[in-house]
Amino acid sequence: MPAKIHLYQILVTAISAIMIYQGIVNFWKGRTNQTFLKLFVRIVVWGGMALIAIFPSFTNRLADFVGLKGNINAVILTGFILIFLIIFKLLSAIERLEQQISEVTRKDALKELDKQ
Amino acid sequence: MTDSSRIHIVIPAFNEGSMIASVIDEVRSAGHRNIIVVDDGSADDTFWRAGEKQVIALRHRINRGKGAATKTGIEAAKILGARVIVTMDADGQHDPADIRSLAEPILSGESDVVLGTRLVSPDGMPWHRIAANKIGNFFTWYIYGLWVTDSQSGFRAYSRDAAVQINTHTDHYEYDSEVIYEIKKNRLKYTEVPIKVRYTDYSMGKATKQGFANGLKTLWKMIWNILS
Repeated sequence: MPAKIHLYQILVTAISAIMIYQGIVNFWKGRTNQTFLKLFVRIVVWGGMALIAIFPSFTNRLADFVGLKGNINAVILTGFILIFLIIFKLLSAIERLEQQISEVTRKDALKELDKQ
Repeated sequence: MTDSSRIHIVIPAFNEGSMIASVIDEVRSAGHRNIIVVDDGSADDTFWRAGEKQVIALRHRINRGKGAATKTGIEAAKILGARVIVTMDADGQHDPADIRSLAEPILSGESDVVLGTRLVSPDGMPWHRIAANKIGNFFTWYIYGLWVTDSQSGFRAYSRDAAVQINTHTDHYEYDSEVIYEIKKNRLKYTEVPIKVRYTDYSMGKATKQGFANGLKTLWKMIWNILS
């Protein structure tokens, strides 16, 4: 008897496929800010979601790998770690942008020195 | 006697249109001519008021914070060949008569950086400001490893060499603590000199001053600088 396919499995797989496809296209066309690292993160995050949706039993292997008893706990913990890493990366990027804005603002202000 | 021609005064200002002219007049009365005002993207007429006083007036097109404005002023002073750079607030709480006592240890070669400290004789300073400063001192010491009696004071003096070596990256009030870290990192000689504070209704009422929320933000930024 064939395995029953649930709606969420189709939806998550379709969305993941679209997100990975867009990432590959952006990287292939060399669009601004599309680095290999970003493509890799996209494939890991969305690919991981698709993998769990298609093969729910994969969470048991993940639980064994992480060392937790409950498979759902392992998924949640992994998700938290990923979110933390993403937030850290975002904050770093914002900080870098803030510093660049200050530097541009400073250079612009110092141009006034020549006029005085 | 202090040669004031070698001292540049940097005044970062944000929405200080009503005060900046009198602060400039006071600095002039104290015998200093090299005054750099950095308007940090004010919404009022701070920049024009400073310009009218025939000082070097620079303007940030957008607000970047007290630290960023101070750094812009210090960069300008370096370009103008300053030997000693003194930074002070634009709200009138600092007494320009103290500039000489801040500059002297640098001109005599005793120190690279002189930190004005309000906490040696904090007469007139509100208790909550004293408490906030002590908390700031503790975290500055805990995070950056150098104990000073007033880590949040903006009234400071730098030798030219120190100003070149100190390389800050922060834009807001955490700048003052970052300077302490830079002093330690670059092994600069520093002295703390007592300064007078003139807390007025005006300076106490400014929304941009270090309040509790801003203090927490400053602490978070200090921790973030270590993590990132």
